[in-house]
Amino acid sequence: MATENAGAKAQMLPVREDLFTRPLSPLSEVRLAGTECDTCGEVSLGKVASCPNCIGQAVHEIKLSRRGRVWTYTIIRHRPPGDYKGPEPFVPFGVGLVELPEGIRVLSPIDSPVDQIKIGMAVDLDVYKLFTDEKGDDVIAFRFRRQE
Amino acid sequence: MAKEIVILGVGMHKFGRFDEPYVSIGQEAARNALVDAGMNWKDIQAAYTSRMYLPATSGARILKGLGATGIPIADVEAACASGGVALRQAVLAIQSGAYDTVLVLGVEKMPRGFMDPLMLYEKWQVLMGMSTNPSYWAMTARRHMEEYGTTESQIAKVAYKNHKHSVHNPYAMYQKAFTMEEILGSNLICDPIRLLEICAPNEGAAALVVCSKEKAKQYTARPVVIAACTHTIALYSSDFRVPASSMSARISNAGPTQLAGEKAYEAAGVGPGDLDLLEVQDTDAFCELQIYEELGLCKLGESGRLIDEEATQLGGRLPVNVSGGLISKGEPIGASHVGQLVELVWQLRGQAGKRQVDGAKIALGHVIGAGGNCAVTILKQ
Repeated sequence: MATENAGAKAQMLPVREDLFTRPLSPLSEVRLAGTECDTCGEVSLGKVASCPNCIGQAVHEIKLSRRGRVWTYTIIRHRPPGDYKGPEPFVPFGVGLVELPEGIRVLSPIDSPVDQIKIGMAVDLDVYKLFTDEKGDDVIAFRFRRQE
Repeated sequence: MAKEIVILGVGMHKFGRFDEPYVSIGQEAARNALVDAGMNWKDIQAAYTSRMYLPATSGARILKGLGATGIPIADVEAACASGGVALRQAVLAIQSGAYDTVLVLGVEKMPRGFMDPLMLYEKWQVLMGMSTNPSYWAMTARRHMEEYGTTESQIAKVAYKNHKHSVHNPYAMYQKAFTMEEILGSNLICDPIRLLEICAPNEGAAALVVCSKEKAKQYTARPVVIAACTHTIALYSSDFRVPASSMSARISNAGPTQLAGEKAYEAAGVGPGDLDLLEVQDTDAFCELQIYEELGLCKLGESGRLIDEEATQLGGRLPVNVSGGLISKGEPIGASHVGQLVELVWQLRGQAGKRQVDGAKIALGHVIGAGGNCAVTILKQ
């Protein structure tokens, strides 16, 4: 990458390496990646080498569903500490645990007017560009969006 | 049967925010504990220091100032449960026969406001905005409200109670009572949790002189016995806490508070009905309600009723956080559990002044934090 000049085409980088299916383009086709245990069937977010439930070593990768429901939530009323990359100036936003049909609840920002977020609300995965980093690459993250 | 271990001396440095460096904050608590025990520093054979936000080998830097006696001094860390782990190391070391007398020092000096998120979260969680500690407690509270009908008013009552208790504790950072209207009118931080319902990270220190019961006989006829000191980490999918990124929707294991509590009750040979008072982790007001249920003070889903009945206030049938709790004292992480135990020792000796629980004989201290680290200590007079 060091040989690339400033005019080189921007790359897409996942916010966390093992979080998404590949390729990362088009974004509308990308899903959250998971790991399912061959022994107990528990599903983990991203890639894990062994099952955190039964410690089984036999696991395989799966695609997680796009559609889920809010199991619980909160509203972040003040700018989170650290290098938060949300809208500037800060606007309050929802964060919740989204239950997916695979039997996992994933912590995620909730893209919805905050006063409309409810437990049980149906949401869809949205994989999107969170920000452009200092090298000009697009960093890809996820959120769940309230169904229209 | 394991050797009985006791707390012979206790000492505190007030919790709050100070210009003073951590070295002198820690030394003050250690010196006070030695004086209280009637011991000299040269009587101490080993020390464990609990801290999270201080530099390398802080314990040695603090305690060498009392005299470079060459004893082993080790720092331990387990987030909010750090103090429990330090005490547990002391208990195990004395039970093993390696020492008779050990100092446990909890000390912290922390920046104002939110803690550095990279101490607890991965970078991607910070970039995406999932690094606000109270949001995790708030989501647990919201789900409890949904399942059991717990109300914002019941959550606020915990804060009301603890702030009211704090008025009588000179070691608390805030010694100020608030009305229910003030609490429910304070700013939302993470819905449904409000500013006056959460604890602030701060500074302070607390220390214990711990020894075998046999050794204690030379100093006092009535030492406080450590009946149990347990530490657990959350089981798989049992606890939604910083920095979790997912939970199972199919499996729900017993939470760390329940686990550490059950182990402590078994070791001490007591149950929740035998307790005279508790100091528990009120990181936020809802957290205290959840702990009532997990420690078996009431059934699952009935903690709102327990606070409505005023059972857990000073003068009630089972007072909780008569010190004012962390909501009033603040949470100097390494010192929080040790500070709870100093309070409980004073209570069991009848030295707690206006916040004294009459006739207290058995007391429980509890902390829980990041990663589902939980410590429970039971003390007996």
